Amino acid sequence: MEEVDKILIHSLKQTGTNVGKDVQSVKHFTSELIVEAVVRCLRVIDSALGSGLSPSLPPGMSARFRVGMSLAQACQDLGYKGEIGYQTFLYSNEPEIRSLLMFLVEKLPKESAEALDQPAGKSALLQKSIAAQIKAQLAMPWLPPSCRLPMLCKTQNPGPSYSFQCQNLSLPHFRNVPGNKQLKEEKDYHRDFLLPVTAQLSRHASVPASLMEHHAAELSATHEWENEWNSQGLLSRLTPEEYRSRKRARLQKRIDEQLRTATQPRPDSLSAHRSGSDLTELLQFFGGSPLPGDILTKGTRFTHTEKFTFTQEPERSAQQMAAAASSLPSSHQSEEDLQTQQQEELAALQQKLQQLCLSLEEVGGDIRQLTVSKQQVSDELKQKELSNAEKEDSVLVKKRTIDLLPDAENNLAKLQALVEGSAKRVVNLAAQWENHRAPLIDEHRRLKELCSNREMESSRKLTEIKELHDKIRQSAEEAKKKDGLYKQLITEFENLPKDVSRSAYTARILEIVGNIRKQKEEITKILSDTKELQKEINSLTGKLDRTFAVTDELVFKDAKKDESVRKSYKYLAALHENCTQLIQTIEDTGTIMREIRDLEEQIETENGKKTVSNLEKILEDYKAIRQENSALAAKIRDA
Amino acid sequence: MELSESVQNGLQSLADPVIFDLKTFSVLIDVAFRSLLSAHADSSVLDQTEFKRVDQTLLKHCHTAATTFILEGVKQNADKSTISSCLEDVRFDAERTELFYATYQKYKSDVETLLSSIGRCPPHINDLSWRLEYRIKNGHVHKVNEPSYLISLNVEKASNGGSLEDVNFSCTMEQLQDLVGKMKDAAKSLEKATQL
Repeated sequence: MEEVDKILIHSLKQTGTNVGKDVQSVKHFTSELIVEAVVRCLRVIDSALGSGLSPSLPPGMSARFRVGMSLAQACQDLGYKGEIGYQTFLYSNEPEIRSLLMFLVEKLPKESAEALDQPAGKSALLQKSIAAQIKAQLAMPWLPPSCRLPMLCKTQNPGPSYSFQCQNLSLPHFRNVPGNKQLKEEKDYHRDFLLPVTAQLSRHASVPASLMEHHAAELSATHEWENEWNSQGLLSRLTPEEYRSRKRARLQKRIDEQLRTATQPRPDSLSAHRSGSDLTELLQFFGGSPLPGDILTKGTRFTHTEKFTFTQEPERSAQQMAAAASSLPSSHQSEEDLQTQQQEELAALQQKLQQLCLSLEEVGGDIRQLTVSKQQVSDELKQKELSNAEKEDSVLVKKRTIDLLPDAENNLAKLQALVEGSAKRVVNLAAQWENHRAPLIDEHRRLKELCSNREMESSRKLTEIKELHDKIRQSAEEAKKKDGLYKQLITEFENLPKDVSRSAYTARILEIVGNIRKQKEEITKILSDTKELQKEINSLTGKLDRTFAVTDELVFKDAKKDESVRKSYKYLAALHENCTQLIQTIEDTGTIMREIRDLEEQIETENGKKTVSNLEKILEDYKAIRQENSALAAKIRDA
Repeated sequence: MELSESVQNGLQSLADPVIFDLKTFSVLIDVAFRSLLSAHADSSVLDQTEFKRVDQTLLKHCHTAATTFILEGVKQNADKSTISSCLEDVRFDAERTELFYATYQKYKSDVETLLSSIGRCPPHINDLSWRLEYRIKNGHVHKVNEPSYLISLNVEKASNGGSLEDVNFSCTMEQLQDLVGKMKDAAKSLEKATQL
């Protein structure tokens, strides 16, 4: 019974029942504890059923009675077959409570095993380990700084701390993308002058932070790229490099367009023109795109005007540079001189600028006029050339006909023959062409079909590839999850208390089974013994009866003749009767003994039911109810 | 533990016995740990005689990869199985993995200290002394009659190497009670945090 009670109490503790440490077996359960245990079990088994019940016994007697009744009802609803009523909870006896609790514990859902299958998330694991760390640190005593051991220094000394600062690191790109050629100078720099990463930064303390940051940035970039490639890149049917370059070009174009619209030049202000051109130059510069001309050769009106307006830009900037350079040597003159000089210079330059602008505009107008007139002239030229060629042709034909005129008939026949020959040739050629055309068209159709087939196949393969990618990712994730679960379970297994070991339970069960088998054997032995005894008794009785009958007959025969023998016959009869009585008495004693044992057992069970204390309790409760009733009656009267 | 492509490349070249023989490998690993842990930047860490025959660019790349791997490993508190599976992925043989792990174990606590030094740490309270002050009256009111407490907290500051400093303040009784209540709350929530 002890084992059973231990298991019961363990399970009850798991449901949240507050079982005290001194409660070792079901015998020590109080009514309150029983009610709490039953309610907690009911809540776990069926939350709807248990939610209406409170785990604590109310003080009022009638309320207690009601709680007992509802608990009994709930247990019966769950399918409890045994005898149950309010008295089970309020006036408990051990065996009933034990059977009830066993029933409830068996009904408890085995959810704990299933719950473990779900791997805890990364954050849960992290929190667990943090909790473990905090626990360990709380367990350690605090020591003043002067008596700190080196072991404690790590957790209790604040130690120097640096904020998380990261700087850019310059790393050699070894074995980079094969298409991306490195410059020789860059290679030389990496080989001969680049410091190792740990020595690159001015503050050595920020080396770890920078390294980790760099790594995290690389990782997230790869993730981003993979995501994009899987979602869009695969569908575009390009190689990764092509996809990248196309995307770059697209972005470049977008930026260019945005900037161009933002810096749309206003025709009246020259400065705006310049800033616009500066920006486009800048764009070309930092874009470093392989085809900077591509963007501008689209031939918008703007680019054309730009070309006209800014061809002299380099000259001007060179002039500005020269002016700046000339101002340099005189910089150590007095400040006023400098200022006046600068102002003069500025005025002169502005004048020059205006002049230049004017001349520029004039020249621009001239150029425009000239181009227009040039176009007109070239058009005319073309027309003239065309008419010239036509005329030359007609002259040639006329000349030939004039040549042929003298021998007209002959020539006519010749010409006719020629015409016929050419007509024949044309027909011939047409037939040949037809001959050629048919197989070519067939071929064309076949190739077209092949092409479409291929396309279909490629799209099918593409979807397959995508599916495979998905599968791979899923499998990888699953594997990772399983791995995590495995590790978590291992740690949990290590942390589990070893005292409630399975093997001990199984050994105990096997022992019990063995004991039962032994007992069974003994019982069968005793049974066979009893049977044998019964047989012996039967045979002996039979023998006795027969012997007595024979003796009785013999003695009776002799008794008629002899007086002494008659006496002996009487004795014999008395002996027989006495013996029968004796046997009867012995049998009676046996039955009485058995009855006594039964009664003793009954007394024991009755004692086990705590009848006396329960009766006392009932009496008390009865009194309490009467008191309550009288109080209520008094209240009614008062009211 | 996830590694970026460049780190993986670097580790792969580290695993290549043609580029790094076992001795050079062990020296490089050691150098990686020491360059992380040394108090000041030393630009000559890679100028060892063992590295003379290795291409300098490759050497620097491998050094970067090794230091990054070490930092990531310590950051995630990686155990032996994680590290060996990671190194197997970049084709380390058993001998090199073993060698790396031995060095890792040797320096791990130091690197942990290095990493835990990143961040801020509020000053630790070591000791406290207090005085009760009873104010009878002040310039405005004739009869004040209220106690106030002069508290002096002795704190240990992290920023300048654990020097001791005093933080002084005075408070009324309610404020002190509030402070005590808050501290109890903090202690309780710490306890709660351990019971996850």
